[in-house]
Amino acid sequence: MQKNKLLLLASSFTTLLLLVIAAGQEHFGKEWRDIQGQGRGEEGPIPVQLRQIVNPALGTSDRCVSCHVAMAPGEESVAGSPVLHRHTPAAHDPADYGCTVCHGGQGLATEKTDAHGDVDFWPQPMLPPGMSQAGCGTCHAYVGIPGAGVLAASRGAFERHSCLACHRVDGRGGVQRRASTLRRRGTPQPASPGLDGPELSRVGTTGYDARWYEDHLAKRAGEAADQNATPWSTVFHPIGEADRAALHTYLATRVGAPNLIEAKATFLSTGCLGCHTVGGVGGEEGPDLTRVGDKDPGQVDFAHVPGSRSLAAWNLEHFRSPGAVAPGSQMPVLGLTEDQIRKLTFYVLSLRRRDLPGSYLPKDRLRVARFGDREFTTDGATIFGAFCSGCHGLDGLGRRSPGLPAFPSIANPDFLSRVSDDFVAATVRLGRPGRRMPGWSRIAGGLRPDEITAVVSYLRTRSGIAAPSDPRPKRWVQGDARAGERLFASTCSGCHGATGQGGEGPALNNRVLLDAATDTYLADTIGKGRRGTAMAGFLTSSPARRTLAAAEIESIVAFLRTWQENVK
Amino acid sequence: MKSADASGSALGAFADNLRAAPRRIREGAFRGGAPHTDRTRSTFVFGNVFLHLHSVRVHRWSLRWWTTAGLGIASVAAFLITLVTGVLLMFYYKPYPDVAYASIKDIHFVVPTGRFMRNIHRWATNVMVVTVILHMARVFYTAAYRSPREFNWLIGLALLVTTLGLSFTGYLLPWDQLAYWAITIGANIAQSPREVTDALGVTDMFDPGGLQRLLLLGSDTVGPEALIRFYLLHVMILPLGLTMLLAVHFWRVRKDGGLARPSDADERLGPPAQTYPVFTEAPAKTYSLAAVVRGRTEAVNRGPENTLPSMPHLFYAELAVTMLTVAVCLALALVSDAPLREVANPLVPENPAKAPWYFLGLQELVSFSAFMGGIGIPAIVILGLALIPYLDREEVQTGDWWGGPGGWPLVRRSIAVGLGSVLALEAFAIRFGWLREWFPAIPQLVVTFVNPATILTLAYGAYSVWLVRRHASARAGALGLFTCFLCGFLVLTVIGTHFRGPNWVFYWSPADWPRH
Repeated sequence: MQKNKLLLLASSFTTLLLLVIAAGQEHFGKEWRDIQGQGRGEEGPIPVQLRQIVNPALGTSDRCVSCHVAMAPGEESVAGSPVLHRHTPAAHDPADYGCTVCHGGQGLATEKTDAHGDVDFWPQPMLPPGMSQAGCGTCHAYVGIPGAGVLAASRGAFERHSCLACHRVDGRGGVQRRASTLRRRGTPQPASPGLDGPELSRVGTTGYDARWYEDHLAKRAGEAADQNATPWSTVFHPIGEADRAALHTYLATRVGAPNLIEAKATFLSTGCLGCHTVGGVGGEEGPDLTRVGDKDPGQVDFAHVPGSRSLAAWNLEHFRSPGAVAPGSQMPVLGLTEDQIRKLTFYVLSLRRRDLPGSYLPKDRLRVARFGDREFTTDGATIFGAFCSGCHGLDGLGRRSPGLPAFPSIANPDFLSRVSDDFVAATVRLGRPGRRMPGWSRIAGGLRPDEITAVVSYLRTRSGIAAPSDPRPKRWVQGDARAGERLFASTCSGCHGATGQGGEGPALNNRVLLDAATDTYLADTIGKGRRGTAMAGFLTSSPARRTLAAAEIESIVAFLRTWQENVK
Repeated sequence: MKSADASGSALGAFADNLRAAPRRIREGAFRGGAPHTDRTRSTFVFGNVFLHLHSVRVHRWSLRWWTTAGLGIASVAAFLITLVTGVLLMFYYKPYPDVAYASIKDIHFVVPTGRFMRNIHRWATNVMVVTVILHMARVFYTAAYRSPREFNWLIGLALLVTTLGLSFTGYLLPWDQLAYWAITIGANIAQSPREVTDALGVTDMFDPGGLQRLLLLGSDTVGPEALIRFYLLHVMILPLGLTMLLAVHFWRVRKDGGLARPSDADERLGPPAQTYPVFTEAPAKTYSLAAVVRGRTEAVNRGPENTLPSMPHLFYAELAVTMLTVAVCLALALVSDAPLREVANPLVPENPAKAPWYFLGLQELVSFSAFMGGIGIPAIVILGLALIPYLDREEVQTGDWWGGPGGWPLVRRSIAVGLGSVLALEAFAIRFGWLREWFPAIPQLVVTFVNPATILTLAYGAYSVWLVRRHASARAGALGLFTCFLCGFLVLTVIGTHFRGPNWVFYWSPADWPRH
């Protein structure tokens, strides 16, 4: 019995000790208690207690405000350690929306690493610093965003016309500005006289007066007569129609998420949609990216990614060298700058979705889902940047990637000067079966007729080369196809293949090509060649190869036409 | 004057009664007086509804540490811990998909001491499973199941099954990926009779596997119905069942004459170090009730020699083991958090999806044949265990560790045989594959009946039969078979837990698992 008594004593003391340790952990081991202990409100120290923002409609209970106390409703005035600080002005007040809807992370948690979500088995870690606006993509699908070039140009127009003198946009400009229209709880809206124009940081969402230009003109005319004219009248000048359109484009992108818009514009000018689909629009070569920013880091292979095991790190590294990070990936190295890579990563992280109650569904998402509005502007430059530039290059000069066939230069002046708009439009619409060029006329995911037209005219305006005027009918060649066959075998088949299946040169026995090409186009291309490619002009005499007479060229064209009937 | 006097004496009586109330409550509670002497203590134990599950006096043999190693009491203690912490957890837990997960997160992060309680609950469960299995092994190796304790051995088996059921049903409740896919696996194991009915082509008419699964889940997949079922089983039906079985188990220990001990236990113990006062006062026992009871219990006609009063000797031992179990559970709970993964997602299967660890041996067998691993072999094992006390009717060395012909050397040899054959078979199957890999078109029934699991079972059986013949003793065979199965359970569980990766492929370490 003595032994048992001793065992009882020892294990009872151990139990007691363990309970004391547990109690200590329970009470003193909570970081948020220490942080709240440093907090000072208007009436002295704040009560130390768990705080949370509950949003039943979104299904969130965010205890983040247990540390970030000043972001809790009614506690904006709390100060102390930097952790406590209030939220920077944002479109959505955290007191209404909570935290995790935008930022990710684990709202239910009350310890830092768990709450920030950098733990195993939490699929939605917080968005990395500097990329918080990627969280906007959770609910929003900002419509009418142009490519980077167009966006830069439209911003240029905005700045050139000195709009920033009076208007404040994304924290810049405004001589004497009103308080931010971005709501901040507890800050009164001051009645502000003076020169200032309204803040424009969110007019892309809230909309603006369509008659603004006329009103500005009238106001200017009125002030010109006034003795006490404000500097305003000297700042504002009449604006041309093209620049007004640019201003409109720019204002439509002011949705309160400028960094995300920049990232999206970069995405729209690196040709990603040529291979990838986002929200049902885009190519099918690569994986659908619609929810790729939602990926659970636990399901991602980080074996080839140095540094932190975050989705951002994976994407950054993947854009640098896709094949090294995802072995077997078809994605070529795109030759991007680090800045572009960062922006693309930013945008990719914004590709996330959340089931939303109807009352929370934003207008832009509805417009895309229900009314078929485009997330990109439908000008030719943006569409070319978003869909074509991945293969043909942003300058249209084509691209060569190791392991892939060369993508042709469609900005080639010899090409553009001989090709008709119909030919180009047909090629975009139908693609080149058997080659990598997909047809873009698909009902879902593809381009609409007016968008294809916009791309074609963009190619024209960009190069300044007009479509050739060809008085002859589409088919006029009357050559001898048998002679043409012999000539083809001796002259052309070396590059284009014995049956025109292609080799070093492109395939010619392609129905879409032959359907779309006029005889003039074919004859001119054979006769005059295409500079910058291996295709020489066969009318010109050369010691390196044989020269063809015009009649011989026509017979070759006639021979090419025989494929049109045979090719299935 | 008279009335005043009367009322005065009535008030006086009231005051006296009030003063005497605490004493009377005490007297009423402790019938026969405060338990100070051996006699009053015995009366106290005898008269207390809970304590009378103990016999009043306990043999000195039973109090030796290595008679039981305290494993039974440790199991009960672990059960009590899970009971207390479980009730506390029930205050916050909400049994509905996704909400359940959030409530566990709340328990972990917000509820005061919630995380600690959940950790204790989880660790006490595992401690309970381990001690229950060890307790069974102790009873087996000391041959304590022999007559007259056969029935209690059966109750013990029922308790083992209930314990596993309790633990398994609790596994689903957090509603995370780990739970969801473990229960999916468990439900599929319940469905494994389909392997045979499918092979016979009668599943459409006779589908016990599908029925079992449907009864378990209440639907085709693990969903809200399954969660409610598991919750109800976990917090009500199984604990109630376990409690009742426990009461019977204890009661039978007493009625079967206390713990098993060698017939020469008294001689081996020698005379007691001091003379224990035995019934210092004249027995106050009446035989009026006992006289009408037919037959005799084990304790009748046995003298009190070499026994000690349960109170305090046995109670100190029990309390000590209980507190030790509490301490162990608390320590584990402080060191290691109960797991909680992502919220359950039926669209993203865990790979590998693993059942709770104590079923991973079965899952390993299921990988060879669902029917054999899930139903066939467990049924054979349970049936075999249940039959042991009825096949082994010997009496030699009851109550001795490794008692029986062959003794410890035989057990040692059986460990070698048990480990050797399971390791050899596993190594062969892992290295060379099995029938399905060699002859892809082979009928499933052949694989069902010829696979590493059945061969292992047959090998163990054959070895045991050989032992029976060699030692001319059923006990020798039982010793060999039990040891072999224990070794098989151990090895298969370790392989299933540690060495099986995605798609149940063998890996030396989880670090070698392909990420995708």
